[in-house]
Amino acid sequence: MTERMAKGIFWFGTLSSLAVFLVMTVHTHRSFAALTHADALDEHVVSGKRAFERHNCNDCHTILGFGAYYAPDLTRAFARLGEDGVRRRLEAPEVVFADSYRKMPQQHLSPAEVEDLVAFLRWVSGIENHGWPPQDEPGRWRRSTQRALAGAALSPAAALVQQENCLACHSLGGTGGTAGPRLEWIGGRRDVAWIARYVANPEAVSHGSRMPAFPHLSEEQRLMIGEFLVSLPADRSTP
Amino acid sequence: MTFQSQRVAYPYFVVALLLFALQVVMGLWVGLQYVITVPQAVVDVFPFATSRAMHTNLLVLWMLLGFMGATYYLVPEEAQTELAWPKLALFQLVLLVATGVAALVGFLFGWTQGRPLLEIPTTLDFFVVAGALLFLANVGVTLLRARRWNVVQGALLGGLVFLALMYLFGMPFYPNLAMDWYYWWWVIHLWVEGAWELITAAMAAFMLIKLTGVDRKVVEKWLYVELGLFLFTGIAGTGHHYYWLGAPKAWLWVGGAFSALEPFPILLMLWDAWRSTREHDRPLAPRLTWLYVGAMAVLHFVGAGLFGFAHTLPQINYYTHGSQVTVSHGHLAFFGAYALLNLSFFYFAIPRLKGLPEGRYDERAGRWGFWLMTLGILGMSLAFAVAGVLQTYLERIRGEPYMVAQQPMRFWMLVVVLHGLLVVAGVFITVKHLLTLRPERSAAQAVEPGPARRAIAAGAGS
Repeated sequence: MTERMAKGIFWFGTLSSLAVFLVMTVHTHRSFAALTHADALDEHVVSGKRAFERHNCNDCHTILGFGAYYAPDLTRAFARLGEDGVRRRLEAPEVVFADSYRKMPQQHLSPAEVEDLVAFLRWVSGIENHGWPPQDEPGRWRRSTQRALAGAALSPAAALVQQENCLACHSLGGTGGTAGPRLEWIGGRRDVAWIARYVANPEAVSHGSRMPAFPHLSEEQRLMIGEFLVSLPADRSTP
Repeated sequence: MTFQSQRVAYPYFVVALLLFALQVVMGLWVGLQYVITVPQAVVDVFPFATSRAMHTNLLVLWMLLGFMGATYYLVPEEAQTELAWPKLALFQLVLLVATGVAALVGFLFGWTQGRPLLEIPTTLDFFVVAGALLFLANVGVTLLRARRWNVVQGALLGGLVFLALMYLFGMPFYPNLAMDWYYWWWVIHLWVEGAWELITAAMAAFMLIKLTGVDRKVVEKWLYVELGLFLFTGIAGTGHHYYWLGAPKAWLWVGGAFSALEPFPILLMLWDAWRSTREHDRPLAPRLTWLYVGAMAVLHFVGAGLFGFAHTLPQINYYTHGSQVTVSHGHLAFFGAYALLNLSFFYFAIPRLKGLPEGRYDERAGRWGFWLMTLGILGMSLAFAVAGVLQTYLERIRGEPYMVAQQPMRFWMLVVVLHGLLVVAGVFITVKHLLTLRPERSAAQAVEPGPARRAIAAGAGS
């Protein structure tokens, strides 16, 4: 190889790659508005992002998969936890994570900051990013719903969940409310006894919880609900 | 060392080494927080986030100071002239260290820009920019006055200007999170897989020419090819970070294709180093310096090239993105490519700055340092990789909640911390060894005459 060729490789390699990169950058800028729903990016979301940075959230959590890996990814946290779930964790992490082996710092956020962070995470959860992360991919949740519905006719516990109107606040599969955490996610983290106790009196288990108590259910019925929730996560083991 | 002004490099090396020691100590605490349960009272005042910000910012700071010191050592010798303003170079060091210390102390009190690796608050960013401008002015004027251009200087200066320019993209506030990350990678990716690779290639070529005495023309010719391939794969290869942030789908093709080629320039650099050592006309001594150069060439390829390639394709990255797999790659790549590059250069330059004959020194403690550190990092990266594969399977494929999936990973994080102890020991020994280099042989010289031993070493090396 001559020095002339070597220089040719240098210039061709650098400039061609740079050209591709710049064209793609223009293309990306043109697509961001639609893919990130920029029309929903109001001042609450922007203040939420500022609060997110002020409290250095991203040096424990990942978001869009970037950041530190010490705490759960926040891309779909809003979809997973619901509005109250997010708010509870921001306001009283020392209560929510009292029995967890990993803690979240109490940041003493102002009520306005909490609302802004909730708005920020709601907006982030809508970003269209080709279905990442895989555990929260919408197609997976749809299949999970179908399985849950297929089994619901046979399961008295599923009937109880419907009768008590749990889905007004919680979601199951792809449907339901967005105030509380997804039922599958609860089932993945907690055991039957814990869920039964929580349903009887949420306040006694987690001080400050906004979920109403269900004292009219029998212990047996509460355990049945617990068993139902714990059985859910395995239903979505296929990606 | 031929020029007096090269001496300004030494204080840069000293500060870089001390910060390196601090970085790994902080790393031990970062790792330990995965293993033990830190009480709420401690988490409230010194959260993981703060320790992590310190661990990563110390890394960036010591490596940049190392590069700057190396540049101040290299430029006068390549340009055959004294540095334009040696005193300004010392002032620049004081400025950057003061900024760094202010940032680290600020983190403890929650003063942060709050973006990973770019936590330094915007106010302090301006001091960093001032320091970078002083540096570029000093180096640029020296080279302009000398009017002796060659590709080693060109790659080094090009890399440094590139590095400084990219830093600017990390400074503004971006209201849109996706766009924020898009430009965040202009800093991080285009540093480590662009600007820093140019600097590495230039520093490695300089050391190879000086250590082996191979034909300069051959090294320079291959340097062009390496740089061309680094930039060809590296620039558009930024796309492998754009798969899942809300950017168009075309990035899956562009990022995947370009970054799949990224191991090749590193392989070429490895082959280049190998060829130079085969064709050398000087003894390969000191052995420890060569051990570092060789380990850099190999682990740069393994850590950055192979571990990077393993999860760069979108089909795999969909499951591994943002898991401990990334951490495994990050640790081995940064150590293999940039920590070993800096340490190789220190072992090359410090004996010459101290005026030790032929750049030789007593190597014994340094070998312990090298092996403890390198084996420690290797073990640590493998343990991170096992934890990462577990996480990928349990959380991403099985769909288990994050904290449930973390539970079985804790054992492997303990393995990480245990290897971290080896790393800390190795780094401490290495730092002490580099800061107290002594002339070669004292006890053994009495037993064996110097020249004969050198001939043996030369024979064994070739």
